[in-house]
Amino acid sequence: MSQSAATSLQVQQLLELLAVVMSFSDEQTAVHGAAERAAQALEAEVSAVMYGDQVAAAVGFPAGAVPAAELLAVADGKRDWLDVPGLERCHAFAASWNGSHPGHLIIARAGDDTFSPEERSLVRGMARVLELTLTMLRTLRAEQEMRERSELQAVENAMLAESLREQQRLLLHVSDIQRGISRRDPLQQILEAVTTAAQDLLGDEIIGLWVRDPETPERARLLASVGLPTTHLPAMPLTETGAVGEAMRGNDVVVAAGYEYVGPAIRELTGGRLCVSMAAPVHESGAIVGGLLVASYDPERFYSPHDKQTLRAFAQNVSLALTDAHTLDRVNRAVHDNLTGLANRGLFLQRLTEQIREGLPAALLFIDLDRFKPINDALGHAAGDQILVITAARIQSQLRSADLAGRFGGDEFAVMLRDVAELGTGITIARRLVHEIGRPVDLAGRTVSVDASIGIALSVDASNAADLMQHADIAMYRAKRNGRGRYEVFTKDLMQAYTNDS
Amino acid sequence: MTIADAAGRRWMGVGSSPHGDTRTAAVEAARSAVVGTDAKLLMVFCAITHDPAAALEGVREVAAGAPVVGCTTHGEIGKGGPNDGTILVAALGGPGITVSVAVAEHVAGRQREAGAEVAQCAEAVADLPYRVLVLLTDGFLRDQESILRGTYGVLGATVPLFGGASADGWRMTGSFLFGDDRVLTDAVVAVTIASEAPLSIGVRHGYHTVGEAMIVTSSSGGRIHSLDDRPALDAYLDRLGAPGEAYTDLEAFRDFALAHPLGVKRRSGVEARNLSTEIDLEGRTLGGGSAIDHGALTWPMTGGEDTILDATDAACRDAIAGLGGRSPIGLLTFSCAAIRATLGDDGIRREGQRLETWADGVPFAGFYTYGEIARTRGIDGFHNQTLAVLAVA
Repeated sequence: MSQSAATSLQVQQLLELLAVVMSFSDEQTAVHGAAERAAQALEAEVSAVMYGDQVAAAVGFPAGAVPAAELLAVADGKRDWLDVPGLERCHAFAASWNGSHPGHLIIARAGDDTFSPEERSLVRGMARVLELTLTMLRTLRAEQEMRERSELQAVENAMLAESLREQQRLLLHVSDIQRGISRRDPLQQILEAVTTAAQDLLGDEIIGLWVRDPETPERARLLASVGLPTTHLPAMPLTETGAVGEAMRGNDVVVAAGYEYVGPAIRELTGGRLCVSMAAPVHESGAIVGGLLVASYDPERFYSPHDKQTLRAFAQNVSLALTDAHTLDRVNRAVHDNLTGLANRGLFLQRLTEQIREGLPAALLFIDLDRFKPINDALGHAAGDQILVITAARIQSQLRSADLAGRFGGDEFAVMLRDVAELGTGITIARRLVHEIGRPVDLAGRTVSVDASIGIALSVDASNAADLMQHADIAMYRAKRNGRGRYEVFTKDLMQAYTNDS
Repeated sequence: MTIADAAGRRWMGVGSSPHGDTRTAAVEAARSAVVGTDAKLLMVFCAITHDPAAALEGVREVAAGAPVVGCTTHGEIGKGGPNDGTILVAALGGPGITVSVAVAEHVAGRQREAGAEVAQCAEAVADLPYRVLVLLTDGFLRDQESILRGTYGVLGATVPLFGGASADGWRMTGSFLFGDDRVLTDAVVAVTIASEAPLSIGVRHGYHTVGEAMIVTSSSGGRIHSLDDRPALDAYLDRLGAPGEAYTDLEAFRDFALAHPLGVKRRSGVEARNLSTEIDLEGRTLGGGSAIDHGALTWPMTGGEDTILDATDAACRDAIAGLGGRSPIGLLTFSCAAIRATLGDDGIRREGQRLETWADGVPFAGFYTYGEIARTRGIDGFHNQTLAVLAVA
């Protein structure tokens, strides 16, 4: 081989080695590829790369039978031969490199030819190329790892920030809802706030709050929703409400795929596009009364544990609102007249006492219905009750929101006109009430009418609530005596007459 | 015909049949091959025109339990000249020989792994002093060199490698292998032959370089994009003064490339790469089997009958010389399908005569392959445009 041919061959082989090693992205493959290419370039049967006394790659020995100690002896320059199974003793040559990761490239070849100076030079060149390439690969890998770590960190930070933002939004929503509950906002308004907030946070197309129908408990009614109509939807069997029914059955959050457990009505409403839904049970005073549902048309939608937690939090708020609303309802029922919804005697007297005790004026109107008993006896209790309800409504219709109407039992009613110190206002209202209550009532095809006798008294003339009640009562009796369907104002004279009568 | 060593410890026989009926041809060929007792291995070289399943069945009928391996061909090489449409069977037997067979399937995409798998069979043979691993690979697999690397990774230099890639008579629709009593594709069949006497390999090509070396200035994905900074295909054709149609016509390029491999510089000479199977007239790139890297020195090559037949002689001489003075009991002769294209019908008859001369009365059998396998030095062993000879003593 001429010098120039040998040189160009060396250059070629170094270039080839470089091309091979650079084509691998990981060190192990690159080292193995380099060992093979070095053996190929020198037409050698054996090639090995060692880091210190560890063999990083070797070709030419049977698998599992790489003689590390013998290779190291060649690397250390202690011998220039190797015994290779299947071959006669081979000439061996090694080139080493130092630096932070010192290593050796060892070549062994069968046959009589020893390694020429050019070949030794080539092996040294290959070792150098390998060292440089490995350093580069390690640097790249370190950089890549750093980049991956920082990217990973960035992703984690973003997730954390997003999670914190969501938690914050959840807290804001929940505190709004709870303020609504404590303010005694109307229940429907609170429930709608919950469904809107759930959609804001979970982002699903459908949010629905289902509660058991009080009359048919095996059915549920949609109380509030986003993405579904509430008004035209009849109460549905629980078994057809999808995840809601299941969440109520299992008292836990349930995720349902597609139209699992869903009846035809919801399928029709959602146009067959429903992909996944999730529901959490809602409770009232500890009993399961319904479920809060979220559902999506997105085939990729997946509910994470975090989503489940969010839904559970909203469901708990619904439970809180329902429990609170119904407790309030029960409390109201205890102080209000069951039939008419007006304050009962106890509440009325309490409010009246408070008004007087605070030194605020009030006009009291005591109302008794005339001819109520014969009508009640003739037409029955139901008709009588109906008259009482209509009368209560007629009384309410003539009052300001600050005023208070009460039913004292039977056909007796009372009205407190707050902050009224003049008879004029009391008289005006009494006159209207006489007229309004006396209008005919249509009862199952029969027209009946009852009149009202009203007594008017002012708190300025009384020392306490009981006095005021008595004054109004006296005035009312005077009105009855004077011909019914009219009002009378309490005066000291009336008091005198009353005392004389009794 | 069958030849045994003087002590009767090892024998090799070869039989051939031109019969049109596959099963009959297979039975006839196998019967002619198995003359000795204690048959250890039957190798079948079957024309693509035959039904491979029927061929396997016919040989198995005669094999009496001995393993059957083999493949389809681009012509069967045996005594009396190369043939087409025949079934050729070589049998090895006797107490001085043991064999072990392994098969790897679904090889495409995991060539190296498959090569390592079949190498395991080398350990299953008796501990006799001489061994060779004969590999038959599906000729339609790419990157055959990786199969050999996988095998070498397990065996190291302990076992020489020999073999060939199956062919399909230039139909280019698919070839078949026989192994594990089945007809296989996308597979590698390996046979370890261990013997009391030497086994020796010769491999040569008959092509010489034309002009100065050209440097691969761009390559990727196993293809050469440019030589000396020019589109590789044009640089190659220009150097050889190729006919005009070879620049534009696929068939014309293939015919031209078959006779003009690309030489790649190696320490002990120039390795020939066949450019005729992965033609890219549109992209003007060259593909030569396994990758030729950026920076490699290459030459267009040419050869004629004289040089190719010289290589035939040299390969036979090398193989027989490797027996250390012993006489062969037989030869396996795997020649490249591209050589057949270069030599033509008359040329391959003369190639056959040379082989017969070197066999000197002992049986020989082989086929025209889509790639020859012969690792005798270094770590590489997949060749193009060569004759590979295994001499069995």
